[in-house]
Amino acid sequence: MTESIKDRVAIIGVGCTKFGDNFDLSYEEMAAEAAFLALKDAGIEADQLGAAWLGTFSPGQGHGKASVSLADAIRLYNRPITRVENFCATGTDAFRNASMAVAAGIYDVVLVLGVEKLKDRPARGLASEGNHAYQHDGSTAPGIFALAATRYLEEFGIERDALAKVAVKNHYNGSLNPKAHFQMEVTEEQVLSAPMVAYPFGLFDCCPTTDGAAAAIICRADIAGRFRDDYVLVKGLGLSVTSGRPWFEPGYNYTGFQATSTAALEAYQMAGIKDPLKELDLAEVHDCFTWTELSNYEDLGFCKKGEGAHFVGEGRSSLEGDLPVNTSGGLKSSGHPIGASGVRMIYEITTQLRGGAGARQVRDPKLGLVHNLGGPGSVACVVILGQP
Amino acid sequence: MVGITDYASYVPRYRLRRDLIAEQWGAKSLGGSKAVANFDEDALTQAFEAASRVIQRPELSDSVDALYFASTTSPYWQRAASSFIAAACDLREEIETLDFGGSLRAGTGALRSAVNAVSSGSNSKVLVTASDVREGAPESVEEQIFGDAAAALVVGRERILAELIDQASLASDFFDEWRRDRDRYVTSLTSRYTTERGYLANVVSVAQRVLKSADLKPEQITFVALSSPDGRAHRVAAKKIGFAPEKLVEVPLDDGGVTGTPLPFSLLCKALDLAKSGDFILVVSYGDGADALLFRVTDTKQPRPQTRDSLTLEVPSYGIYRRFRDFTRSAAEDGAVISNVMFEKEEKQNVRLYATRCMNCDTLQFPPTGVCVKCRNREGLQEVRLPRRGTIFTFTKDYLYAAPKLPTVLAVLELEEGARFYCQVTDIDPDKVKIGQNVELTLRRLKEGGGMHHYYWKCRPV
Repeated sequence: MTESIKDRVAIIGVGCTKFGDNFDLSYEEMAAEAAFLALKDAGIEADQLGAAWLGTFSPGQGHGKASVSLADAIRLYNRPITRVENFCATGTDAFRNASMAVAAGIYDVVLVLGVEKLKDRPARGLASEGNHAYQHDGSTAPGIFALAATRYLEEFGIERDALAKVAVKNHYNGSLNPKAHFQMEVTEEQVLSAPMVAYPFGLFDCCPTTDGAAAAIICRADIAGRFRDDYVLVKGLGLSVTSGRPWFEPGYNYTGFQATSTAALEAYQMAGIKDPLKELDLAEVHDCFTWTELSNYEDLGFCKKGEGAHFVGEGRSSLEGDLPVNTSGGLKSSGHPIGASGVRMIYEITTQLRGGAGARQVRDPKLGLVHNLGGPGSVACVVILGQP
Repeated sequence: MVGITDYASYVPRYRLRRDLIAEQWGAKSLGGSKAVANFDEDALTQAFEAASRVIQRPELSDSVDALYFASTTSPYWQRAASSFIAAACDLREEIETLDFGGSLRAGTGALRSAVNAVSSGSNSKVLVTASDVREGAPESVEEQIFGDAAAALVVGRERILAELIDQASLASDFFDEWRRDRDRYVTSLTSRYTTERGYLANVVSVAQRVLKSADLKPEQITFVALSSPDGRAHRVAAKKIGFAPEKLVEVPLDDGGVTGTPLPFSLLCKALDLAKSGDFILVVSYGDGADALLFRVTDTKQPRPQTRDSLTLEVPSYGIYRRFRDFTRSAAEDGAVISNVMFEKEEKQNVRLYATRCMNCDTLQFPPTGVCVKCRNREGLQEVRLPRRGTIFTFTKDYLYAAPKLPTVLAVLELEEGARFYCQVTDIDPDKVKIGQNVELTLRRLKEGGGMHHYYWKCRPV
């Protein structure tokens, strides 16, 4: 990294559909809803967009394969549009690419749109997309993360109840978020007695299968004031990639994700953050599974490796805690429409920084972190947002 | 001198109590259990297991110049199981592979052919496998009697354990037990006439012929490995020939079953375990005729401890047993999963299990690569065989992945020499899987797709 992105890009508008079982909405309808909400929030017309980035992980029924899906959804033609895909880090990586283009001064105002339609398919869960015919046969998304959780539980002597606490916290936060898929609280008992999905994950240790779309409008920081006073600035960006087949990697310890640590380091360096626990006011992290959130605390530097269970157990990541994590309810409550998740996180942090989060508002936040993690923990993207 | 230089038998770990079968039909139970193939096993994988037990050492696998596969339940009508097993054992391509079938005598027929091949000088070392996963029709007596198994014998000229000194054969087209190409289940006629005119007449005749030819009396034979259609008739045959009952190698009905082509081999293996130098072993098989083979044990033969696989598992119900059987026969196609271009390109890794060792940093890595995973080195990367034993590094138990018996256990393995592998764990009670558990890789039927059977490696506890 040679230059920092700090204070060069501003978010002037955000939009988000309700995340959930959007059976009666099409990919395009969700895309349009999120995009037009963001345009309205920014107070601009689509014509003013210089370019756009679309994040969708899994094209289906002809949608989300290429840039045309965004163009046709909002009738934005004759513009440079790129479709981005980077496993579950798709949304934030789309944001990251758009930010770099804006920071370089190539475009003034651009749209970032994350869209995913998972409920239109017949199969349950993310299962075997792109798996090798033999070498990964039997792998499911929960199974892949469960491998790490099993090793972690054994190595640090943790039980499933530590994982359950993450689910309880995030379901509580989600109950305060009108955009979340699930707005219901759960008890630790419910989580522990739910049917098993992939040991050690039961049903409530897993994020639900969800449809959704979210959008952000960004511009060069020096013109942000034209659009609104309470714009939010991008303070740091980081992305890092490790092996897509960690199960074959000799010596891999399976207790955390180096991609997260490295991406966070890059973002912290750009933002000038030395002590994330003290300096960050809130964070949206990738809790595809309850255990992943514990690892995220550690990999993002909020606490030491192996201490994630204490961090949540002591309430340090709850709404009133030292560093509220997943005030939106996280992927646990919002679900994980893959391409949309990263952008939804940006929506949440932006909303919080603006003071618009209602019952789940964190007091006077200055700096927020977004963390998105994809594949078997191979791709991590971190975005730091803050007040001007 | 030509004879058997090595041997191994294989019995699947699952047991189905005959009471469960009997309860299903309101029938009388024959008692005991039968050994049944796991849903991911078939005649090919069983034969591989037996073969891999005699192919352990590279010197042996490099010197085998033919592999035979004998079965009445090959998974393919056209596609040599022997060729695939040879590849899974990482034998050279410049060998002869041959499938034998059509009769319960296919095993001994293959054995006799192997002896002939070595005697004539055509081959120097032949690996003969026999394996069956036969099905008796639901509610039939055969459903209770049949069991699954495989065995492997190596035939050669050097370091012979048991020399073949005489043989005799009888052909018969008598109708007693058969399976047409259109049938899934074996048809068996049972009557006193059938047993007397078929099995007993043939077996007695061929045994007497070979004893006469070798100028030996029944009392001189130490072990009698006599195939049986039902787990009982062999005792009648033995009596008729004049063998004392204690000479009979017991057909393991109680904890196995009547296994088809591998049965004479399994009985021979048991005899070889116990035999001492100078002993005579008579092997008799029956199926559309009879074969008799007479062996003399040499002084190369060392005592071999009788090991019992203690890791057996119970099939919990008749319904699950049916589901196991149906999986190999009628599992839904998974869609085309691999082109033959891909299959061929990856044969060395997926079938022969080759890995790469980086000569720069010494890392052993799978799958094979042209760029070292640790040091990015591209020079001096060596193709080596992946070790097939290791321990479980971590695991999960998946309830989402469709399988005949949930959950599916998946594990990351730490293999010997530090390579990592990822696969399903089979032949295990999911409640018993642990980090650090010792496992070995095993070839299993993975799924169906594109009109093919797909085989790949799983691991099982040892």
